Amino acid sequence: MNVSLKWLSDHVDFSSYSMEELDDLLTFAGIEVEGIQRLPDNLVVAEVLSSEKHPDADKLSVCQVDDGSGTPRQIVCGAKNYKVGDKVPLALPGCVLDAGDGKTFEIKEGKLRGVKSLGMMCAAQEIGLTDDAEGLMILSSDLKPGTPMSEVYPAVFELEITPNRPDCLSHLGVARELAALAEKPLQGVTHYCDSKTKTRKAKGSEIKISSESCPYYTARIVRGVEVKDSPDWLKEKLESVGLRPINNIVDITNFVLMEMGQPLHAFDLSLLKGGIHVRQAEEGEKFLALDGEEYELTAEDMVIADSKKAVAIGGVMGGEDSGVTEKTTDILLESAYFDGPAIRRTGRRLGLHSDSSYRFERGVDAYQVNGASDLAIKLILDLAGGKAEKEIVVCGSLPSAPEAVKLDDDYCRSVIGAEISDEEIDSILSSLGLEKGREGWDIPTYRLDLERPIDLVEEVARVYGLDKVPSSQSAWFSPASKADEAYDFASGIQTKLSSLGFYETRNLKLISEAQLSDNVATNHRKMSPVQLKNPLNDEQDYLRPGLVPGLLATAERNKRFGNADLRLFEMGRVFTATPKGDEIEHEHFALLMTGARVQRGWTDGKPSAMDIHDLRAVLEQICPAGLTLVPVDDDRMLCACSIEIGTGKKSTKLGLAGILSPARARELSLEAPVMVAEINLKKLAAAFSADLKYEELPKFPGSSRDIAMLVSSDLPAGKVDSFFASYQEPLLVSYELFDVFQDPSGEKLPAEKKSLAYSVSYRSDDRTLEGPEVEAAHAKLLDSLRSKLNVEFR
Amino acid sequence: MLAELDTIQSDALAAISSVQDEAALEEARVGFLGKKGRLSVAGAGMRDVPKEEKKEVGQKLNEVRTAITTALEEKSAELIAARDAAAFASIDPTLPSRPLPAGGLHPLTYVLGEAVKVLRRMGFALAEGPEIETEWHCFDALNTPEDHPARNESDTFYFENGKLLRTHTSSVQIRTMEKVVPPVRIIAPGSAFRRDEIDATHLSAFHQLEGLYVDKGVTLADLKGTLEFFFREIFGSKTEVRFRPHFFPFTEPSFEVDLKLQATGKADKWIEIAGCGMVDPNVFLSVNDARGDAAYSPDEVTGFAFGMGLDRLAMIMYGIPDLRLLIENDVRFLQQFR
Repeated sequence: MNVSLKWLSDHVDFSSYSMEELDDLLTFAGIEVEGIQRLPDNLVVAEVLSSEKHPDADKLSVCQVDDGSGTPRQIVCGAKNYKVGDKVPLALPGCVLDAGDGKTFEIKEGKLRGVKSLGMMCAAQEIGLTDDAEGLMILSSDLKPGTPMSEVYPAVFELEITPNRPDCLSHLGVARELAALAEKPLQGVTHYCDSKTKTRKAKGSEIKISSESCPYYTARIVRGVEVKDSPDWLKEKLESVGLRPINNIVDITNFVLMEMGQPLHAFDLSLLKGGIHVRQAEEGEKFLALDGEEYELTAEDMVIADSKKAVAIGGVMGGEDSGVTEKTTDILLESAYFDGPAIRRTGRRLGLHSDSSYRFERGVDAYQVNGASDLAIKLILDLAGGKAEKEIVVCGSLPSAPEAVKLDDDYCRSVIGAEISDEEIDSILSSLGLEKGREGWDIPTYRLDLERPIDLVEEVARVYGLDKVPSSQSAWFSPASKADEAYDFASGIQTKLSSLGFYETRNLKLISEAQLSDNVATNHRKMSPVQLKNPLNDEQDYLRPGLVPGLLATAERNKRFGNADLRLFEMGRVFTATPKGDEIEHEHFALLMTGARVQRGWTDGKPSAMDIHDLRAVLEQICPAGLTLVPVDDDRMLCACSIEIGTGKKSTKLGLAGILSPARARELSLEAPVMVAEINLKKLAAAFSADLKYEELPKFPGSSRDIAMLVSSDLPAGKVDSFFASYQEPLLVSYELFDVFQDPSGEKLPAEKKSLAYSVSYRSDDRTLEGPEVEAAHAKLLDSLRSKLNVEFR
Repeated sequence: MLAELDTIQSDALAAISSVQDEAALEEARVGFLGKKGRLSVAGAGMRDVPKEEKKEVGQKLNEVRTAITTALEEKSAELIAARDAAAFASIDPTLPSRPLPAGGLHPLTYVLGEAVKVLRRMGFALAEGPEIETEWHCFDALNTPEDHPARNESDTFYFENGKLLRTHTSSVQIRTMEKVVPPVRIIAPGSAFRRDEIDATHLSAFHQLEGLYVDKGVTLADLKGTLEFFFREIFGSKTEVRFRPHFFPFTEPSFEVDLKLQATGKADKWIEIAGCGMVDPNVFLSVNDARGDAAYSPDEVTGFAFGMGLDRLAMIMYGIPDLRLLIENDVRFLQQFR
């Protein structure tokens, strides 16, 4: 909300405050200052002395203006709405104006169609006051040429009022709050609740309420008004807070809105047929609003109607054809109390928001409805003349006044944790307009937020200020939670992976439907991805069921940025739903490797590309000992070659790894093989043995033998590994593949064969092995290999 | 014989001293001390030496052997030293290093790690909750009015079954209190989601760190002391911290926390960094309803809660100007935080 310092000064004298001090005062009242608008320097009031047609341009005029310097200044101008003698804003050379979109432009001396122009006369929109861009802004004729515009329109605060404080959505409301905090008296009219005007219950069809969204409605008729421009003081006030003056009647309702936060509406009485009926709209009822748009209403919307049709959407906006115009002579002024939630629903559904609906939504003080009507009527009579009916016609009843709240001062101190005396507490609450009564603290009708003792504690804490509250420190012994254990385990993996040369990525958890096919996570076939009901766009309409889709997108993006050699990982939550529709969340981590194994350098000018064996090596580094990798054939997998990651004797499935299919890699413009793996973090953590125990180191030397065997070229090395793993020979302690050789040309080896060379070690824990013992064991092993795997030895 | 030994010694010493490399030295060793070497051959002549000269010749033989051996050892040491020196001379330590794959963590992980480190020293344990939440845990239980704008479909992601993506980690407060009786002292880092178009200052998914402390006699003074300590540990002991009154549905009183920080090349400025407050009694009442007991009776316990945006913290700590950098994962960006 825009609050003008000048307007605020009607109620509180802030002349001794600097802008910074005022900023602080507002800030510590809990009112955030989002910005301070000040008109630029070198923007002054100027009087148009003469205006002649531009010799070479029909649409331009050449004016001489008085800028207060004593010498007339020549300005070329395109506007038509002014006359000689008008006062207008003049931007002098050097004046910097806002050009929108965060840009500015500086006024310079120049020539327009060959005629010198030494500045620019401005529209209200051009100097950022209101949205009125049509023609020059015509200023009050009382202003002296040369007066800086920043004196005419002093600073305006853009304030963010929190939703619990609708009472601050007006100048009086903000003034009331600041006066309390600054311990200054509130001046001018400080209270609009005690209207002295007589009221009369509506009779017959005069006013009828059949909507629950309107507890209280009032109307007062003024006849014989003259609708015209508002006087300068009123225009300036409205302009200063960004409102465009319309005519005196409309301006007055806007003034009351900004002054005291009560929305009003003035109807042209002659355009109303019969009495006022506050009712729910009919389903599909059409309504042409003041903004020129037609809205289709539903039975949930409340309208103000005459006997024929709706003339306003209650509390939101008046109608196009019942408003006050220059022809209007008799008016009906509405001042009412509407239900906030109902107005919010209507505004939200129609996408229609106004200064009025903004205030009703948040809650207005029902007890000022009559007072607001009084203030407006008084101004109407002053500025537009006419004769008002003696009584305010009312319908419905006011909601009950806020109940008194009891506050135990000890409770207050115990929540705040500061020694605030009873007197201080009393003085703070009194300054805010609360009164100590028999039942506790009586709450002003505008403080809709004060209902419970804690609400009063908040007031005390806020005004007392947290800077005066001591800072206490309390510590605690916390046993590790499950979340702590998970965090520490994940951190360990993160650290390991970053040491292995991986960069951690964090991708958005929302992915597109197309990306779902990149998923390789080990979710059960029956699990389905989780779809949003209201995605922002179709790039983000599913929650990721796995991490690989994000990693692939990242790899593609990095390739575009010129980073082709990648080791990436991501850790985080993935989402799936059971056939019953229950969402399941898991923590996963995933790896992606592609490109050169090492950076090209003087030590290796042609580094080779990473392959599946690099991925295996990494998996072995981060998984517990006993990792098993089993090739799988799975039609869901996008991988050309997939392996299942398992561990332990029973081989718990931890995840999947593999090579991205070359076709998909090409689609992503990734050339080299792309390896991916995705692992369930919780399962991985469980696979690590909790009790690690020392194992005695070997005391006796071992003896090793090499075996070079010729096998069928399609025999996976894993088969030989499995043979060794299950081979029963107490002396055999380890085996290692140290060479693989194939010769497709068939010269050195038959083309359908390959050579695998293993080194096997024999050792005993209780003695040094004798040669013959080793030979015997080795011969047995070779026999077994020959019979089980059909190998030949080279 | 003695003369011959003298000759062998002088020949040997001359040969050894003229040797240029280790192979030649070995050749010289074999030539003099090897089985068929000159000294060995001469030694075999001891048989023919008259008895009375044997002692003298034997002594001489030993002297010569020692002299040659010593010369060989000295020469060998000299040659090895020369070889070492030559090897070192060929090293150019100014060449660029042999490349090793370098990795690192995402800046958010570093920021979270720092925060968790400090808060754990302060006695907080970690907690977590689901990101797909019920409206009750995300809004109702947190005292959010039924018609609060945050519940709008325009602001919050929903699922067909009525659940939603949590809009803040504050739902973990409820999840934790449902399970654990007071005292409770937890922090909950995690993702939160808002239906915002992504731009330099908005992400549809972002990261928050939530804190909650509930016990008998927890005060606003405890909250102030806790957050002041935390932010000074992170940003330095002299960091100015201020608490501005604010409004959140689930705390009362509520504050926003500003730090006076210096952006590079600019004057110190108050920067909003966290929201906090005393847990609203209505939140405790909701928790009691869900638990079916009075473990969190507002007459018995009080508590404070705080929450901060980790993405924002990262932006401030590292001077990152655009949030999108955090989700783009450009390796050239990631490698700046190793």
